[in-house]
Amino acid sequence: MHLTFDHISLALSGKTILDDISFEVADGEFVSILGESGAGKSTTLKVVAGLIPQDEGSVLFDGQPVDDLPTHKRSCAIVFQDIRLFPNMNVQDNVAFPLKMQGVAKAERLRVAQEMLEAVKLPDMGTRRVHELSGGQQQRVALARALAGHPRAILLDEPFSGLDEQLREEMRSLVLSLHERFGMTSLMVTHDPDEALTMSDRIVYVSEGKLIQEGTPADLLLRPRNQLVASCFGDTSAIEGAVAEEVFRVGKLEVPAPEVADGPAVLVRVQGSVPFVHSLEAPAAALPASEEGR
Amino acid sequence: MAASNAAATRRKKRNGKPFSKLFVAIHVLIVLLPISVIAVWACADRWQWPLLLPEEFSMRGIEEVLFSSNGQGLAVMGQSIAIAFAVAVLTTIVAAMAARAICNYTWVGRNAYSFLLVVPFLIPTTVFAMGVQVLFIHAGIARTVFGVILAHSICALPYAVTIMIDVTRAAGTRLEDAARTLGAGPLRSFVSTTLPALMPGILSSISMSYILSFSQYFLTLLIGGGAVRTFATVMFPYLSGGDRTIAAAYGISFILATFVVFLIFEWLLRRFGLGKRTDLYG
Repeated sequence: MHLTFDHISLALSGKTILDDISFEVADGEFVSILGESGAGKSTTLKVVAGLIPQDEGSVLFDGQPVDDLPTHKRSCAIVFQDIRLFPNMNVQDNVAFPLKMQGVAKAERLRVAQEMLEAVKLPDMGTRRVHELSGGQQQRVALARALAGHPRAILLDEPFSGLDEQLREEMRSLVLSLHERFGMTSLMVTHDPDEALTMSDRIVYVSEGKLIQEGTPADLLLRPRNQLVASCFGDTSAIEGAVAEEVFRVGKLEVPAPEVADGPAVLVRVQGSVPFVHSLEAPAAALPASEEGR
Repeated sequence: MAASNAAATRRKKRNGKPFSKLFVAIHVLIVLLPISVIAVWACADRWQWPLLLPEEFSMRGIEEVLFSSNGQGLAVMGQSIAIAFAVAVLTTIVAAMAARAICNYTWVGRNAYSFLLVVPFLIPTTVFAMGVQVLFIHAGIARTVFGVILAHSICALPYAVTIMIDVTRAAGTRLEDAARTLGAGPLRSFVSTTLPALMPGILSSISMSYILSFSQYFLTLLIGGGAVRTFATVMFPYLSGGDRTIAAAYGISFILATFVVFLIFEWLLRRFGLGKRTDLYG
């Protein structure tokens, strides 16, 4: 599904939350909305899903306005930060819930639920109560539940923020592999620049309800539109990846690395200077990342 | 060895088991002792002070309760239970809807409405009953079962609303929102997700309203005007008249009827799968 967010504005209790925001998510694309807390990221997802109606502008699915369509008919499943599994149902019934709403026969929906639980690597958890699962397992069940009804788009609201670093890494890989397998349009909210850089086809950077910059991860990393975006990526951390044919790759992030030897490498970001790729196999070959983008 | 014994003793002390057992025993005695005295009184014919047990036993009290007024005893009990049950259901439905409106929506006059709902707390039942009686006579519903149900419901509403506001606020709309994004319509998402979370509160509200109605004497007498007879109105003259045997028999029947109805509430909740354990209340 091609999603269009067309000049959306929204104020809640007199405070502007979204200010004339427009962007598009192509069919099957994975887009991240990046920004600090209170930037309006989660509200954007809720407007897409129809949980909060916008004051101005229009949301379009495949070119058709859906502003008058209630949430349950929009077919946009949200994976929430606080998980929101139904405590009165077991794991299997949680996953089968969207299919039940679609009127799918019990045997079929239990079969699909089992298939989804296998996809998120929890094949034997179907009969467990949700409070018996760990946080990471609960988030996987939430992911399986969101995918089970084959929604037109999947909306991820900071889905990894409650997990420890190792689990976050596992969940990122899982989400990306499921996105590739099911190929559905995905929109993820995050405040973690590394997450946005490595998972997204494109990133939408928002601040105080305004869209600041939109582009590929390399665009935002190498050509930030202003100081705000630059400082978001400008800490001194490093991203580990690999160079092949003079391109540094990690997840979906691709940064040109001319004259850097193939093999394991690290993309180093230092406040106030251009990020550069450093080969981990040949210490001498440390060169600035190209400004050309991909 | 000595160290591990000392640790076990400390753990035992921390657990506070002897104290908790003693506390529970005292608690049970406080509840059961008066009830057991009433139970004995209900079957006693002569029980003079300072004798520990009655001199004579008889079923006079029980017979009076069940078959008095030409066999009307059971009918009065049935009517009392029916009125109290109707009050419990009506009050809880109104309270649940009011709590939802107050907790989940923003609208002009919300705070005033919230205050109005608990105003009956501030008005003594006698004052309220006299005002309501005049109003109900004009409306033509005085001396009717419907009038009594309505009057009891108004009295029970503040208690029910207070309970329902707490559970509705705790449940929030988080799960409902999640269900809606998964394809459930507004009613379906409420029934599938929020209702089970509200169930402990609904049970408390039903129980509280039921008890309030079942034990209501003055309001029933004034609004019912003698035409609507309930257990409380029939029992009261015996309590004030000094016939302890019959009063105790009514008392025991009152407790038993309430206990049985509460068991039925619990069974119904389990039967329809609504009383299952939730994360919210364990």
